[in-house]
This record gives sequence, C-alpha cells and structure tokens, in this order.
Amino acid sequence: MANAADAHHDEHDHHMPGFFTRWFCSTNHKDIGTLYIIVSFIAAIVGGAMSWYIRLELAEPGIQYIDDFQFYNVLVTAHGFLMVFFVVMPAMIGGFGNWFVPLMIGAPDMAFPRMNNISFWLLAAGLVLLVLSTIIGDGPGTGWTVYPPLASADFHPGPSVDFGILALHLAGASSILGAINFIVTIFNMRAPGMTIHRMPLFVWAILITAFLLLLALPVLAGALTMLLTDRNFGTAFFIPGEGGDPVLWQHLFWFFGHPEVYIIIIPAFGIISEVVSTFSKKPVFGYLGMAYAMSAIGVVGFVVWAHHMFTIGFTADTRAYFTAATMVIAVPTGVKIFSWLATMWGGSIKFEVPMLYAFGFIFLFVVGGVTGITLANSSADVVFHDTYFVVAHFHYVMAIAAVLAMFSGYFYWVGKMIGRQYPRGLAKLQFWVFFIGVNVTFFPQHFSGFAGMPRRIPDYPAPYEGWNYVSSVGALITAIGTLLFFIVVWRTFSGPKVADNEWGEGATTLEWTVASPAPWHTHEVMPDMTGKAPAE
Amino acid sequence: MASRDTRNRMTATALWVFVAGMVGLSFASVPLYQLFCDVTGYGGQPKTDVAAGPSEISEKTITVRFDSNINPNLPWRFKPVQRQVTVRLGEERLAFYQAKNLSKGDATGTALFNVTPFKAGQYFSKIDCFCFTEQTLTAGQVADMPVQFFVDPEILNDPNTRDLKTITLSYTFYKTEPDEAPSDAPKTAARDDTQLNKPEKG
Repeated sequence: MANAADAHHDEHDHHMPGFFTRWFCSTNHKDIGTLYIIVSFIAAIVGGAMSWYIRLELAEPGIQYIDDFQFYNVLVTAHGFLMVFFVVMPAMIGGFGNWFVPLMIGAPDMAFPRMNNISFWLLAAGLVLLVLSTIIGDGPGTGWTVYPPLASADFHPGPSVDFGILALHLAGASSILGAINFIVTIFNMRAPGMTIHRMPLFVWAILITAFLLLLALPVLAGALTMLLTDRNFGTAFFIPGEGGDPVLWQHLFWFFGHPEVYIIIIPAFGIISEVVSTFSKKPVFGYLGMAYAMSAIGVVGFVVWAHHMFTIGFTADTRAYFTAATMVIAVPTGVKIFSWLATMWGGSIKFEVPMLYAFGFIFLFVVGGVTGITLANSSADVVFHDTYFVVAHFHYVMAIAAVLAMFSGYFYWVGKMIGRQYPRGLAKLQFWVFFIGVNVTFFPQHFSGFAGMPRRIPDYPAPYEGWNYVSSVGALITAIGTLLFFIVVWRTFSGPKVADNEWGEGATTLEWTVASPAPWHTHEVMPDMTGKAPAE
Repeated sequence: MASRDTRNRMTATALWVFVAGMVGLSFASVPLYQLFCDVTGYGGQPKTDVAAGPSEISEKTITVRFDSNINPNLPWRFKPVQRQVTVRLGEERLAFYQAKNLSKGDATGTALFNVTPFKAGQYFSKIDCFCFTEQTLTAGQVADMPVQFFVDPEILNDPNTRDLKTITLSYTFYKTEPDEAPSDAPKTAARDDTQLNKPEKG
C-alpha cells in the first residue's frame, strides 16, 4: 500500500503555493480545517470574555459594571451566537471534520475542495457581520433565539438585528455547503473495501450531523428571511395586527434549534468513540448500535422541538406528546453511554490527556442529560422555563460536555496536525483547572434556577446572591483554565516531535498510518481496505 | 460506472433538492399552520366555516363571556355591550361590541379573535362577525358591531370539554391601513340607542 508518508513534503512535485494562495484560496482539506480551528479559537476568546464579563456583573446583587441593560442583552446574545455558531461548530465539524474525515476514509481530499473553501470564508464573513451587529446601532439585545416582537422593527429599530440575521444567513449557508460536501465525500469517496459499516464512528458522526444540517438549516434560513422582510419590507409573518403570529417564529426557530443542539453534540460523540477506543486498546463496543443510536438521536431530534415552547399555551395532549418524545431520546443516548463503558471494561486503560477529557465528557454529559429529562416534563417546565435551571442544563451539555470533547479531540489529534507533542504535565493541570472551573460555574446554577432565578437578567434580588457568587468564582477558575489551554497550545509548537502513531496499538484508524504532521497531500493513492479489519 | 466527478455532482444535486424542499416547507408552514388551526380548532381558534346552525338545540346551557382589548396604536374605545350571556347549546345568538373612535381623524382597525379555554375552540362557531373585515370609523363615530355564534352540542361528547361551564370570546383590535376602497360598507350597525338597552338579544 502506497501512501504519501513523505517527510520532505516541502519539496513535493508541485510547488507549495504562496502564502496568499495557500491560506486565502485554499483547496486543501487540512489547511481549511486549520483555518476553522483558528476562527474557533478567536471566537472562543471573545465569547468567553463576554461570559466572564456577564459573570462579573452577576457576582453580586446590584449593578456594578454594566448599567446599560441593552448592552447586557447584547452580551448575552452575542455570547450565545459566538459559542454555538463560531466556536463549537467550526471546531468540530469544520475543523476536525475537514482534517480527519478524508484521512479516515482514505480519500485524498473532500469531494468539492473549492466549495470547502467558500464554506470557510462564508463563516468568516458571518463572524464579521455578527461583530458589526454589536457595534453598529444599539446591538441585537434579543437573545440568541431572536423572538419577535422584541426582534421586530417596533422594538429593535436600526440595523443591528438585520446585521445579525445576515450573519446567520452566511453561517447557515457555510454549513449547508459543508454538509453537502461531507455527505458526498463520505458516500462516494471511501477507499475500496471500506463499506459504510466499516468506517470509523467519527465519520458516522459527521455524516449524521451533515444530514441534520442539511434538513434543519434551511428552515432557519426561511425563518430569518421572514423576519428580515417583516422588519424591512412590509411583510407580516410575525405581526399579529396584520394577520401574522409571533408563535410561528418560535415553531420555525425551534424546528431548527433542536436539531442544532444534536448537530453540536453528535460530532462530540464521534470524537469520544475514537478516543475511548484508542486508550482502552479495544474496538468500541457495539459498533452498529453506536452508529444507529446516533442516527436515531438525529431522527427523533426532529420531532421534539416544542419542548422549548411548553409555556405558549398548547393543549395538554400536545404537551404530553412532546414530553414523551423528548424522553425517548434518552434511550439511544443511554445505549451510547453504556457502550463506551463497555468499551473500557476489560480494556487496557491509559490515562493520557485525551482520555481524561473523555471520562469527563461521559460523566458530565450524563449529568447534563438527566436535567434535560427533568425539563422534558412539561408540567415541571412551566416552573423551570426561562430560569437558570435551563441555563445550567444547556451549559452542562454544551459548554462542558461538548467543550471537553473538543479538548479531547484537540489533544488526541494535535500531534497529527502539527507534528509536535503537547506538554503532558501542563495539559493535565489544565484539564483539572478547567474541569473544576466549569463545574463550580454551572452546578450552582441548578440551585438558582430551582429557586426561581430568571435568565437573561443583569441583576437579581438579594436572596439569590450566594450561588451566584460561587458561580462567578467558577467562571474565574474557568478563565484561568482557558488561559492555561492557550499556553499549552503555544508550548506545543516548540514541543518534541511525535511519531506517526503516537498512541500505539489502540489507534487503528487510517490517520495514524500517515506521517505526523500529516503531509500536505495524503492518500494520493487510495489504500485498499478490502479484507482489513473494520476501522472502528 | 460514471466518473467520480459525475457521481459526486449527481449526489450533490440530490442533496440540493432536500435543501430547497426544507426552505419551501418553512414558507409553506404559514398557510399549513393556518389550515391546521382552522380545521382542528387548536389554540382556541373558533370555527368560522359554518354555513348554517347545528341540527338540534340542547336543553343544556353554557355561559359565554365577552372580552375586549385594543392595541395602543388604535385610538378607539372598544367594549362588549353585554359582559356575558347564557345560551343553550346549539342555539344561535347575536351579541354586540361597541367601538368609538376617540381621535380627530379616521381610524381603521382589524380585530383578531380567540376563545378560551383553547379546547373549546373547535366547538365555538361564528356564523357572522364584524371581525371578518376591517372597520373604518370617522372621528368620534360610534358603531355597534355584531357577532352571531352558537356553541356546538358536540361539546358534551368530548371528555375534555363536557364539564365546561364558561367560554370566553376575546377580541383585540389592531390599527391597520385602510383598503383602497373606503366606501365598502363596514359590517357595523348604525348607532341605535335601543340596542344598548337590550343586553341580551334573543
């Protein structure tokens, strides 16, 4: 089997393009993946800074730092958009997806390399528009859910919300194009012998995520267009006095919004499968169950959207349906959790940094998931809706679990990407600081929410101050953990070189058969996987 | 077997069909939701597609209360003439609201309507209503606005609604721009003192 395990990739047959062509007109899946990861890092710092500013204000009752409440709402909104659309999605799908899907299936690149590039630059443009929306006009103080009538022209005149809508249009277009690219690549460009049921679980995860993107994002695009025309071109989709209904926005937004959270977590599931398998030196338990559990989560995720709308006044029968359907998703999710545990059972566990993050993911995703089951009860949700209990739930599953999976993937794959080893001791310290920080930040928010503290507020009555103070201390610890991460990243560039397969016999997927760092072009001759063991 | 490029393009085209379909579905949701609510009465949507009354009139009665709201943009006073009526199930009844334009110029409004509890919506049938068209009042004009309705006796056969004693019909008037043909006679009765003194019309 020939592969381009070529240490002298700089002296390749065709010249490496110049800097501008290589980085601004890229058609290389590895470089585009790197660009996505860079954007994700930048957005993480900005979005994180916003959250630390919010926690600074919320540390004590009374207003100390943010007396412009529109600005406070803008911070809350921008923090949400940045983290969802410009940190987690670019890192896991654009970043790791682009880097490793072609490598893992034995393809030389993505199906449409130029479209891959435009996907990235659409995202970058969307980020610019989002930043502009916060500094032009009063800023979009609507929350990431952008509900009319608050988001309509009556209550948000000026261009801010329009800029935000256009930012989301671009980010959505970026993801739709990327989804098409991934699906075509995975369907059509697997190496001979790698059937669908023998490809790595991370590739399955990206495939399923791509289908969710394909079906959910156009609905967001439609809804955003309706809001844009309502605000600017005289339509009345959401204006009651002219025959519209604000609840229509909620239906459309959440029809997108619920699959969106699965779009965020399913790639994380894929990463964790790879990491747990590698560091247990065992194939993942129940490969088919894992693949089809992810599929089931994706499918059922499309028919539960109204659990975000339990308080709008639909009938008890309807609430009963959405409660039951939401709880059903716990079943395939449980299959996955137990399968990861079964993978570890009887394996030879190595507590390398990626595995620490994977353990953290499994435990904390379960914690976040069970509060989701609590919220699924429509009667209980009438009390919890728009309280910090909801904030705690989604931060556990997204800000903690998905981010831990991102870190796990980063530490697992950085050696393949840049060819250097991260400082082990410092990375372990960073894991513990971040782990403690996020738990101290978000666990007490369950108590605040249970006690009735509403979300999206800059100030609160004095009885809520205790847990808010603890949560803000946690935010400080998290900030230190994030700073440590960037120090680890910096130090990695001057770390010792790594072997092609730095993780040993547990790492059985194809990316470990190419050099570290991976050459600019890989799998120029597709490997023949006929008769080989499934690359699980 | 087609080349890799051809196969890739064909797959991509098939996927674009999904994208276009979902965008279309999101815009189609506007009439589809409207249709769904009209047919099922979900969300307290009363039935308005009734050609004639029901076949029988029951002995059982139910109280219908009348609620009114104005959007602050519309300078009207808008109140029900009668606060509530007791009506037999299946019996057609006429009720009135009264609106007065408090401003110095013409003002046009459209009313949205709803019943509570929501589950009663599919059994509340409006035969005729001022809310079906927009209303223009000149400065200071007072108008009595009729609603003709009945409550379907089928409400007794539904386990969710058989114990209901009260249904509330609520209107909210919003300001609209008038249509191009303002001479369309609005469906309002001219001011008539005798109507005001008879809260329950049989």
